[in-house]
Amino acid sequence: MNDTIVSYISSLANIEFSPLFVFLIFLVAILIIVNVMALIGGLGTYAERKISADIQMRQGPNRVGPYGLLQFLADGVKMIMKEDIIPTESNKLLYTIAPVLCLSGILATFTVLPFSSGFILSDLNIGIFYLLGVSSLVGVGIFLGGYSSNSKWSMLGGMRGASQIISYEVPVTLSILAIVLIAGGLSFKTLVSGQTGFPNGWYIFHNPFTFIAFFVYFISALAEANRAPFDLPEAESELVSGYHTEYSGMRFAFFALAEYMEVFVLCGVASALFLGGYKVPFDLGGDTIIGQFLQIGSFFTKTLLLYYVVIWVRWTLPRLRVDQLMTVCWKYLTPIALFNLIGTAVWIWAFDGKSILSLILSIGASGSAGGH
Amino acid sequence: MFDQVLFYISAFLTVFGAILVVLERNLMHSCIFLLTSLMGVAGLYLTLGAEFVAATQLVVYVGGVVILMLFAVMLTGGGLEEIKKNIVSVDLAPSMGNLITYFWGALSAVVFLLVGGKILTSIYSSAVIADSPKLFIKTVEEIGTKLLTDHVLMFEMSSVLLLGALIGAAVISRPSKVNIFQKGEDDVSH
Amino acid sequence: MNQNFDAYIPIIVLMTLGILMVIGALIVGSLIRPKNPNKLKLQPYECGEDPTGSAWANFNVRFYVVALIFIIFDVEGALMFPVAAVFKKFNEAGAGGAILISVLIFIAVLIQGIVYCWKKGDLDWVKSYQVDGNDNKVAEK
Repeated sequence: MNDTIVSYISSLANIEFSPLFVFLIFLVAILIIVNVMALIGGLGTYAERKISADIQMRQGPNRVGPYGLLQFLADGVKMIMKEDIIPTESNKLLYTIAPVLCLSGILATFTVLPFSSGFILSDLNIGIFYLLGVSSLVGVGIFLGGYSSNSKWSMLGGMRGASQIISYEVPVTLSILAIVLIAGGLSFKTLVSGQTGFPNGWYIFHNPFTFIAFFVYFISALAEANRAPFDLPEAESELVSGYHTEYSGMRFAFFALAEYMEVFVLCGVASALFLGGYKVPFDLGGDTIIGQFLQIGSFFTKTLLLYYVVIWVRWTLPRLRVDQLMTVCWKYLTPIALFNLIGTAVWIWAFDGKSILSLILSIGASGSAGGH
Repeated sequence: MFDQVLFYISAFLTVFGAILVVLERNLMHSCIFLLTSLMGVAGLYLTLGAEFVAATQLVVYVGGVVILMLFAVMLTGGGLEEIKKNIVSVDLAPSMGNLITYFWGALSAVVFLLVGGKILTSIYSSAVIADSPKLFIKTVEEIGTKLLTDHVLMFEMSSVLLLGALIGAAVISRPSKVNIFQKGEDDVSH
Repeated sequence: MNQNFDAYIPIIVLMTLGILMVIGALIVGSLIRPKNPNKLKLQPYECGEDPTGSAWANFNVRFYVVALIFIIFDVEGALMFPVAAVFKKFNEAGAGGAILISVLIFIAVLIQGIVYCWKKGDLDWVKSYQVDGNDNKVAEK
């Protein structure tokens, strides 16, 4: 049975909902989540400018609102009032569909993000697999954006972007497989509930192979989101603006929004799979409403910390060339990810799925017991 | 009640996506309508309770095959050239082909009508089919268990099949120009 | 337990929301935007010069090779997912060794594929080159 937020609420309140009411509750929850995510996307642009300013020893935006917080709203208003220029000889249908595909792909991944144990929109049995599938719509969107702009630079950026996204899906899939081996299921609740609130129970510290798998996943996720140092498709210094050169105003805003939301989703998946997700130390609050809010807070803390690391990496490392990009993916990350997969499988068989810390503790215990 | 809504949406996407694939003149548009049609098929799998197959459809078809087709269209010229009309092609459906296509199409239509007629007569002659609620099976675990116990040989054979596909694809699509920048490369590089 | 189709409502609603957001923003924008198209603005951007030639120029076949290799690995990953999901269950039931051997054979065949592509140069992107004194092209290391 797929758990949904509606079933959670109906189990809390002990009411059985009619289909219309189910739909309304879903609608309300979806609107809340989309608004929060759009806010995070907008604040992500603000955070990026502020953090990059901090790294480059200058002030970021600080005029609009307190500390410049409302800058993203000003940007949004500016973009919606810009003239909608569609270049001649561009493919109008594809030109409009490209941002739609990017945005729909990312919005559809929100259904399985585990904000807390009750507040998952719908805990599909195939959660992580579904997320992988839907986030590849973004690749199609980028390719179409590049193709439909009828400009050499956009085309090149679009093709490079699409091939980069599909190449880096392989290490992502293999790293996620290593975690699925340990957890024994594909749904996000299964994946998160195998971990504990304290770091010693997180899957990242389960065995050395998953430790490496976390970094492989993080690097590949950076490349999937076209973030630096892998942002060749939108390289500002080389391709003007890559696949979204010809997009102006609101259409460009959707590409940017989709990118920032995608980074959040990928960081969310990393924190759910490797860093314990929504688990709170001591399981404070348990199953009550307070506990749910603490869990949401835990999830957001871990995800936003990873988000900060993503922004930090962008302004620290230089950009990779396209052949270096492909070499890193196919000749380094994929073999390492395969090695992790084999290592994790062997570890689980050899040690009955126990983590390395519990092994050390048990050796210590048996050593002290046997050593009288 | 929502399963009916899901079915109608998926069926609409599948059928109209497929029709538009054939009727569109622009090749890139056809690829996008194919994407829509494949997503409709994924929705149909969901209505049947096959969640894992729906997700595989999304991952492999939408995420891989459509991109591959887009690249293939780019490789062969960008889909810009006029699709030539022959004597018997109708102006509305430019991808209709030639007489051989019509022959096989007519044959398939006859076969489908016969099979469909048989199914429909059996439905109408039997009792009314009750709308029974479907049992929820965790399809992922079921498929995994079957793959490892009953069908282990199929599992391993599928990996060999994929290896064959990989080698074949790599051989076919290898650029035939000799790369003059790599020293010591043979002229016959296969 | 009966199938709960309500779990798929968010998927449909969110995808429709994506389409509606874009269309809605464009409609709202068309009401408050200026609309002064002229020939220069509608040209595709080419760093200030007049655009020459069509955009659909030479296409490198290595994009296609990468997409083909990706599909194979994608299908392998999709096949591995159900196996990985039940591995823990089998391991606790004691049959872990046999399952491990199946999984290792599967991955070994996969590894042979990637080694083949590596050795035959399908995973190489074309390196950049420079021209030396005698106008010969010399590959960068």
